[in-house]
Amino acid sequence: MIKLKIFIFLLMALVLLTSSCRVAREAGGDYISGTSAGDAETLNWILAADAASFSYSGHTLDSLVTYDNEWRIQLRLAARDVEVSGDGLVYSVTIRDDLKWSDGSKVTAEDYVYTLKNLMFSDWLNYPYQSDWQEEIADEIVFVTPEVVSEVTFTLTRRTVDPEFIYTVRGLTPYPKYIATKYEGDAEAFTQAPEFNNLSYTGNLGPYRFVEWLRNDKFVVARNPEYYLGKNTGAPYFEKYTIKIFGTPAIVHAALEAGDITATNIDPDKVGKFKGMEQINIHTVPSSGYMLLAYNLRDNGWEGLKHKEVRQALSTAIDKELMIEQVLYGFGEPAFSFIPNTSPWYADKGIAKYGVAPLLDKEKAKELLLEAGYATRKTDGSIEVGDKEGKPLKLTLITNAGNDVRESVGYLIQQELAVIGIEVELKFVPWATELGKYLRNKVPGSDQEAAFNNGAGAVSEEPWDLLVIGFGTNPLAPSGTDVFYTTKGGLNFWGFFNPRVDDLFKRVKSAEALDEEVRKELYAELSRLIAEEQPVNFLAFQLANAGFQKSVQGIEPGINMGYNYHLWYFE
Amino acid sequence: MPMKKNWLRDYIIKRLFFALIVALGILTVTFILVRIGPTSPADKYLANIAARGQDVSQAVAAIEARYGLDKPLYEQYINYVANLGRGDWGWSFSTSMPVIELIKTHWIYSFQLIFLSSILGALVGILIGILSAVRQYSKTDYIATFFSFIGISIPNFWLGVMLILLFSVKLGLFKTYYDSGIPIFSLDNLRQLTLPVITITTGMLAGYTRYTRSAMLDNLRKEFVRTARAKGLPERTVIGKHVFRNAVLPLITIIMFDLGSIVFAGAYFTEIVFGIPGLGRISFNAIFADDYAVVVTVTLISAFLILMINLITDITYTYLDPRIRYD
Amino acid sequence: MTNWLASINYITGKVGGIRKLILILMAALLGVTILLDVLVVEKIFDPLGYLYIALGTLAVLYGIYPLYTSRRLVGYYWERASQNRLAVAGLAFILFLILLALIGPFFTTDPTATNFEEKNIPPLGFTIEESVYHPETQQSISKTITGSGKHPLGTDNKGRDLLAMIVSGARISLQVGLLATGIAVALGTLIGVTSAYLGGKIDNILMRFTDIMMTFPFFLLLVFIVFIFGPNLAFIVLVIGLTGWTGTARLVRSETLSLRTREFIMAAKALGASDSRIILAHLVPNVISLIIVIATLSIPGVILAEAGLSFIGLGDPSVTSWGMVLRAGQQNLDTAWWVAVAPGVMLFLTVLAFNFMGDGLRDAFDPRSAV
Repeated sequence: MIKLKIFIFLLMALVLLTSSCRVAREAGGDYISGTSAGDAETLNWILAADAASFSYSGHTLDSLVTYDNEWRIQLRLAARDVEVSGDGLVYSVTIRDDLKWSDGSKVTAEDYVYTLKNLMFSDWLNYPYQSDWQEEIADEIVFVTPEVVSEVTFTLTRRTVDPEFIYTVRGLTPYPKYIATKYEGDAEAFTQAPEFNNLSYTGNLGPYRFVEWLRNDKFVVARNPEYYLGKNTGAPYFEKYTIKIFGTPAIVHAALEAGDITATNIDPDKVGKFKGMEQINIHTVPSSGYMLLAYNLRDNGWEGLKHKEVRQALSTAIDKELMIEQVLYGFGEPAFSFIPNTSPWYADKGIAKYGVAPLLDKEKAKELLLEAGYATRKTDGSIEVGDKEGKPLKLTLITNAGNDVRESVGYLIQQELAVIGIEVELKFVPWATELGKYLRNKVPGSDQEAAFNNGAGAVSEEPWDLLVIGFGTNPLAPSGTDVFYTTKGGLNFWGFFNPRVDDLFKRVKSAEALDEEVRKELYAELSRLIAEEQPVNFLAFQLANAGFQKSVQGIEPGINMGYNYHLWYFE
Repeated sequence: MPMKKNWLRDYIIKRLFFALIVALGILTVTFILVRIGPTSPADKYLANIAARGQDVSQAVAAIEARYGLDKPLYEQYINYVANLGRGDWGWSFSTSMPVIELIKTHWIYSFQLIFLSSILGALVGILIGILSAVRQYSKTDYIATFFSFIGISIPNFWLGVMLILLFSVKLGLFKTYYDSGIPIFSLDNLRQLTLPVITITTGMLAGYTRYTRSAMLDNLRKEFVRTARAKGLPERTVIGKHVFRNAVLPLITIIMFDLGSIVFAGAYFTEIVFGIPGLGRISFNAIFADDYAVVVTVTLISAFLILMINLITDITYTYLDPRIRYD
Repeated sequence: MTNWLASINYITGKVGGIRKLILILMAALLGVTILLDVLVVEKIFDPLGYLYIALGTLAVLYGIYPLYTSRRLVGYYWERASQNRLAVAGLAFILFLILLALIGPFFTTDPTATNFEEKNIPPLGFTIEESVYHPETQQSISKTITGSGKHPLGTDNKGRDLLAMIVSGARISLQVGLLATGIAVALGTLIGVTSAYLGGKIDNILMRFTDIMMTFPFFLLLVFIVFIFGPNLAFIVLVIGLTGWTGTARLVRSETLSLRTREFIMAAKALGASDSRIILAHLVPNVISLIIVIATLSIPGVILAEAGLSFIGLGDPSVTSWGMVLRAGQQNLDTAWWVAVAPGVMLFLTVLAFNFMGDGLRDAFDPRSAV
């Protein structure tokens, strides 16, 4: 027995010695990322609509291009960045020539064009994000035109200019034509195709290869020794990469503390505790997710909300920094626009910063309400807020139940507005109810099908005044946010209709915005206008906290910190 | 004897026929419930699509069309039943797997848990129960009662988290979660099931203890026990051979029921807390994802199991007690 | 005066007993209030209020009144039950809980009142560290929070007083437990007694129906229905009540079967009593001991079911139940342990108390029964 121990000891010493002698990094270790968010729905990415599904398949299949923490281009499957013609209509993509499917055949431009034309644009497969690839010409919706140029080059031709279309193109991933043709035209067969559900086609296209997906438990991929980016570096450096799904957040945190998992996201209130642990590193990084307080401008909201002065008054009364400190434990930054300050398009020149001093003043808020006719001045000079008849105001705030941060924000707003004499009734409703009864709307009495924006005159089934909700903006292409703020926007729940906003969003997507300076100015103008109109009160951009075991090396903390995760390694 | 076989066969056929009708009824009710609900499988995408700033209505329509959910309800129902008739249990769109494969993969994780817990619960529970009955109203009885009821009174999800924090995080004795990479039939697996099994067992103990106790008390008063004692048999023999043997058969029924009825849902909380990928989590996630194929199948199988266990129990009784006749 | 009495007597005779008369009157009254509630916008009672009144009337007429008329028997059982010290302790705790639920809210603050300035305060005698991050300096600043007498049990992460939440939770949990069990037991008793008394085809149909109901996995069904139709406390109570009667029905049926051929039932039949009178006035009071035991033992299950629903996010978000507090506390167990511990302990003690009491009662009524 003792002999065995000595032998093992010697063996380990040998291993340690040899490994420290090598200069090139050796792959090893099992990286386990813990999450208590839900499992993915499919690995067949063209069918996916949830974030988890895209992230799972992404481990085995790179996109054309990705971005580092400063939004600089990092080439992946593309040999060089996407090239745009001077008129902004033709996009030319050249892929690397050393990309291979699992059967050894080359990945070609033909695969990409096939994926676009025969799968994404087809009417039998119902790709959920078709609208990304469509443009409107004379009231007709048409797809962009993909075309093979050479074995490694293809073009996409638009008929209208959209300066931010390039970001959509850069995210493109291919399906293997030689497999997909077998299932073409049959949605059911395509959905159930074993090659696509086992990711067995991905060749050398991603840092990892699919091993196992046990539903509601784990998704496991193993190091891809043929990874095209690993030829010289030997990357990636983890033997196995596992996403472990937990049933409850309490245990994910316990697992990180106990060292059973390598990394997970840490809730704001627990960061202090984890920072005190020697074996854990915490990186606080910006995110593009923001919380907002929406005002119901439709006919079933309090009529006062239709006046921009009233909305400004309410926003003046709500302290954003207090909210960040109390609810997010400091992990957030006040938001004044839908564009995060990490975005290259962020500009805060001339923007009205409601909710921080000097535009944070409860007395000023009351005066604004008085001017708008929703308050009366008492004999002692104090102002009493009320409706047009002078009766006390009572507003209904809704948010989805079970989201502790949003519930807390609701309570805090209730606390803040109580100071200026407005009573807020909180309603926490299940997500499905929020969607169905509060956000979907239709013109009463009409035979419209309820949708998220049925235009002016449409109202939701249940009345509401205030809504706390969270969204994300693509920091590179903020124009996608038009769905929330334009007259025809599909997610304009709150009924904000402003021709100037419509026009600005249109211009941001037009030829004049090809000039980045112009685009930046347009975004600044949009931010100013929306901040001035206050259809919603942007509350805060949240900071995320990623917790890692100290042994993980090579991390560059930042908004896109996972961009080089194939270079991470265990100490 | 042939007489008996005859009526029994008729009886079994009748019961099976009944089971079939019940199954069809349950299928219909469940199907309608899932499909008429105000939620749509596409709802959960909304947050993601919105976060990407895309138009939702188109995506939602696309997803509903892809799974045939845009067709009229009766058409969906007929399609579904027709497929079932062909032995096709459907495709689970929330997990991208054939439903039957999904259940085949995951049932073992729940079953091992409940199997071990039932055995342990029955063993410990029966022992405590016997002790309790033999010394009715003694201190032992009180302590036994007290402890068996503590278990049933702690919510499983609470106990589980506490056990993990204490034994896994503070003491480092176990992993904080169930590692599905360890083979089912291995000592390591048995080891990592320790905490989950304790969690479930504590909840089962009271049932077994109290049942054994009352069954034992019942038999203790019977004539044959008095006779046995009068014959001068040692107390151990009296209790073990005469009293317990008569109490054990109904107990087996209870164990069977435990196994059958909770395979699907009983271990759900324990599965959540310990991260065990059992059928409980599969079924409940399917409910939340409106994945009707899975929900209907799970309900059906579970109902069918219960019906079969009922039948087997009844038949066993006719052999144990030949006086019993069902008409 | 005599005229008035005579007419009451007449009506009583017509409908078959004073209890039935009261029942009919109450039903009519409730019907009218419900109509008023629906037609006139004014809210008179919430849905739970109606359940309370209906079940309370039933309990008084068919539970407490028969117990009162047979005081001697009750005294005998009490004598036996009081020997079981665990059962007595259970009863004492339940009485304390009822008292807490009834008058507690007058002594505590509003359980829904938040105050973020006073969040995460530990219970009296404890001290914790809490840190807040400052993005400008990228530093966290810690502060020490000490428990105070103002919030003896501490506060949650929204500054709500935990003591107030526990007291409010006691009310909700008792409500849910009593009401849902009340519905289930009333329904189960009715079906069980009817089935056994009438026998034949009706017995067959009712028992087959019971079998079918039993094949549904209870909690799965509960989650399923609550998920589809939304988490509303009154609705949850109804669903638990309407699905949880099967066990009662079976037990009551077998108990009634043995009663059916007893002399006093035969006598009542011979005297020409109607079926409904025999069921309500003779059979139900005679299975009341069984019903009390079943009810006491099913209350804990119901309370735990509500907590379980809350744990998976299907609790009614507008009420402060122990389950909801527990769920919130569970998420922050490592930073604010007291939020999960307080409701957990209360839940545990309550369920334990009901179990002890039920077990003691069963022992007292019939030590051999296998409820």
